[in-house]
Amino acid sequence: MAEIGDIALVTQVAIFHNKRAFDQLVRKYQSPVRRFFLNQTLGNEQLSDDLAQETFIKAYTSITKFRGMSSFSTWLMRIAYNVFYDDVRSRKQTFDIDSPEITRLSSSTADAGLKQDLHQALAQLKDEERTCITLQLIDGYPIDQIANITGIHENTVKSHLRRGKEKLTNYLKANGYDR
Amino acid sequence: MDMTDRDNILLESFFKEAAMQQIEDNGFTERVMAQVRMCEETSLKNRRLSMLWTWFCIAVAAVLFFLFSGWQLLSVSIVSILHTLFTWFSVLITTAPTADLHIDPVVLLLLAVFVLVFLPYQTYRKLSATL
Repeated sequence: MAEIGDIALVTQVAIFHNKRAFDQLVRKYQSPVRRFFLNQTLGNEQLSDDLAQETFIKAYTSITKFRGMSSFSTWLMRIAYNVFYDDVRSRKQTFDIDSPEITRLSSSTADAGLKQDLHQALAQLKDEERTCITLQLIDGYPIDQIANITGIHENTVKSHLRRGKEKLTNYLKANGYDR
Repeated sequence: MDMTDRDNILLESFFKEAAMQQIEDNGFTERVMAQVRMCEETSLKNRRLSMLWTWFCIAVAAVLFFLFSGWQLLSVSIVSILHTLFTWFSVLITTAPTADLHIDPVVLLLLAVFVLVFLPYQTYRKLSATL
């Protein structure tokens, strides 16, 4: 039912350039998209909001390319994923250092309690592992949709998930979360 | 190391709160919509400029065409092309009955399919992707 609603809104935007319909889509998906970026950037709210804004603008300008082969949320997350990795690549070119270092350095916002624990735990992972782990354990996407969003083969997604989960489990156990 | 059920439960409980986290809008949608409007205005401005440039080029081309008697050059070229085509055709008509031409019907069929089906399909696909 939600999908039919999304498709109706997308049609309104694509054909009639209905901004009110796009406003509704942004309102509906701002939370998952911003949360995705917040987890990828390890809690950098300013950067997350900038990237989320860029994602929605790209979605608006290329909305006619949405063919309805996947759900709108999957299509939007695919744009978000590309925006994030474009940003990571441009930062790598600018600073010539690994992206986790950049994100760790830049994540200076005052996240409290579990949020901070979460971002510290996610900092143990490589970029691709973090993306797969957050898409599965936080956003609840199944493996085939993670492969669709990231453009990574399903078997590679599975190995990223396995390695990521092993690292996280070791980290959580070492920090007393299993007691 | 294999993941045990306990490990999975540990991970699920650790991420449970994060999975339920809802981020308040706090004016985010308004900022996005303002950016969208700005993008549209810029793109409209660019389209107008591009259209103006196109009309300017057309006007310059038309002026140059009449200034340098373009019509004369064009009519000479058309006559020359038609003359060449007519010559080729008359050569073909004269030599075709004597030449030993073998035309494979399969090749002919494939060519017909390519021209009648594949090319229009590709054109339709490209047009529908851009429009």
